[in-house]
Formats: sequence, C-alpha cells, structure tokens
Amino acid sequence: MRSSLVWQVLILAALALAPGLGQAIYFRDKISWRSAIAPSEMATVDQTRTWGGNVVWVDARPDDEFARDHVPGALSLNEDRWNELLPQFLAVWSPGKKIVVYCSSLSCNASREVARRLRNEAQLPGVFVLEGGWEAWLKKNR
Amino acid sequence: MKTYIVAFALSIIISLSARAELKWERTEIELHPTPADKQAIGHFKYQDPGKTPVRFKSVHASCGCTTAQTQKDEVPPGQSGEITATFNIGDRTGTQIKTVTVETDDPTNSKTVLTLKTIIPQQLEISPTFVFWKQGDKPDPKTITVKVGKEFTVKHIKVTSSSPDFQTKVEEKGNGEFKIDIQPQETNNVVASTLTIQPEDSQKVFYATARITNTPVVQ
Repeated sequence: MRSSLVWQVLILAALALAPGLGQAIYFRDKISWRSAIAPSEMATVDQTRTWGGNVVWVDARPDDEFARDHVPGALSLNEDRWNELLPQFLAVWSPGKKIVVYCSSLSCNASREVARRLRNEAQLPGVFVLEGGWEAWLKKNR
Repeated sequence: MKTYIVAFALSIIISLSARAELKWERTEIELHPTPADKQAIGHFKYQDPGKTPVRFKSVHASCGCTTAQTQKDEVPPGQSGEITATFNIGDRTGTQIKTVTVETDDPTNSKTVLTLKTIIPQQLEISPTFVFWKQGDKPDPKTITVKVGKEFTVKHIKVTSSSPDFQTKVEEKGNGEFKIDIQPQETNNVVASTLTIQPEDSQKVFYATARITNTPVVQ
C-alpha cells in the first residue's frame, strides 16, 4: 500500500515537472532581448552622487517621456533620433567626465543600447548604465 | 490502483484539450527591412481551437519603439486572427530584438511572449563616429575607417565638413574600405564639425563628429 502511494506521488511529480523541463529545453538557445552588460559598467544612484558634478546625464527614453520630466541637466539621446541628437551630446561632453545613461526602469533596454553605441561607435570612455533607471533616480531624489 | 492513475491522467488530458487557449502559428518572427524602410512589421497569427472564447487582457511591447495591435478583444472558438507588431526603426542599427507580451484569460497559459527580431542592414560601418583633440594638442590628423556592408556595393564616398576649421581627405583602400583623415587647422579654440559621409548614388547620409574639447578639469 505504502509503495503504491510512493509510486503515485512520483508519477504525479514527474507529470508536474514535465512542462517545466520541456520549456527549459525549448528555450535554452533563445536570445535574451536585453543587451548583456558587465557589472562594472553599471552604476547605482548612490554611486553617481559621489561623482558630484563630474557627470553628463543621458536620457535614453523616447522624446515624449524626456519632455515630461528628466534628471536635471540631462541630455536626450535616444535611438529614434540618434544622428540628430548625438552631435548635441558630443558638444557638451568633455574628456574626464563620466557618462550615466538611463531609461525608464530596471526592465528597459534603451539605456544599455545607447551606452553600447557610445562605447563602441563613438569610442567614449567612462560610460555607465544607471541601475533601475529613471524610477530608481526618482525614488532617491524626490 | 493503476486504473486510478490512468483515469487521473486522462482527466488532465481531457481538461487541457477543453480549455480556452490560443495556438500561435509562430511566436518568433525575423524581419529583414531594406535600408529605406522606416518600419518593420511582424504578423503573429493565432487560432482558438478550443470550445470557449479567449479574451485578450493586455498586449504590451517591451520598448516604446514598438507598438502592438490586436484585431479583436475576444477570439470566438474556432476563429483565427493576428497581432500586428510594428517596430519603428529610427536610427537603430544591427540586430534588434523586441518582445510583445500577450495576456489572455486562459488560466493555465495566460502569458505568451512574441519575439520580433529585426536585422537592420548597415550600408556603412563607421569607426569611430567621433574624433577629438584637447585644447592645445598638436593638430595631427586622426583617422575614421568606413567599411561597406556585405550586401552593398559602394565605390566612392563623399565627405563634407560643416566647419572650415577641419580638413578632410578620403582614401579608397579597396575591398569596400575607405579611410577618412581629419585634421584641425589649430586646437586653440573649442570648435566642432559634423562630417557628412554620403555613399555615391545613395540618398542615405551618415554622420561623424570632430571636435576640439575643453582641457579637462582635474577633480
């Protein structure tokens, strides 16, 4: 009787586990839609505070969200109008300044993409992505 | 005891087949827009093979650059339809992966993630897109390399500087590669120039920036 019960439990557990296993196998090669980024290229709001005025803030969100509100002094640089906005950003940047890029929240990807292009295409040093984005900045500053 | 297990398993199978669930033709679409395209559009087709209607609760794109539209709020049993995902290319480059999360009232499989992969063709690859000199630096020339994308043929490029403070010289290296030398007249003043790079016989324009920057402040 006891062994029969154990078998039933095992069979039920196997049935419950099957969809999860199937999904894990099916999705194992799927590409993540978020760009990979090294932890050293991320910065927290507290960390950026210690950098004082030595920071250029870059807002990677769409134009309408930037127009609504943004980090004081931030420059808009999004991929919708990259060619138009990049020269405006480069006119403000100077060597030695840290660049902190943010988008809406922890789950957005725009800041990672903008940071990647600043590093790879413009070959700028000291580019960081703000952890938690605009939401995290708001929490700590307002 | 075996009979109980078989009966239990059968009841699960029957209840699964009877439930309302959308069957997607594909949950991943790869698009290859032309350089002139401003949008890439993916059509995710679905069908409700069950016996009850399926209602969409939400359709949410992963990025502000993508919009997703359903044809209807509810899918009657046996009917099909599609979700149209529109990705605005803007000035994006390379491979772009955007997702659309669809939530339905199906209690067992309420969430489906649709993936739109867009391969944006790159006619010219410019590296770097920014060159600078610090104030007081020797005004030596700096080089920008331009490589033509695999699927394109460009024999000549035209480079113009928005400021007479910078001189440019183009050298054709062959094999779809060009070298642009940029040289400032002097580096005493903070000046900038937008370099316009245009492939011959093409409407598409590419940009690079040259600038004399302030001397950095030591902190």
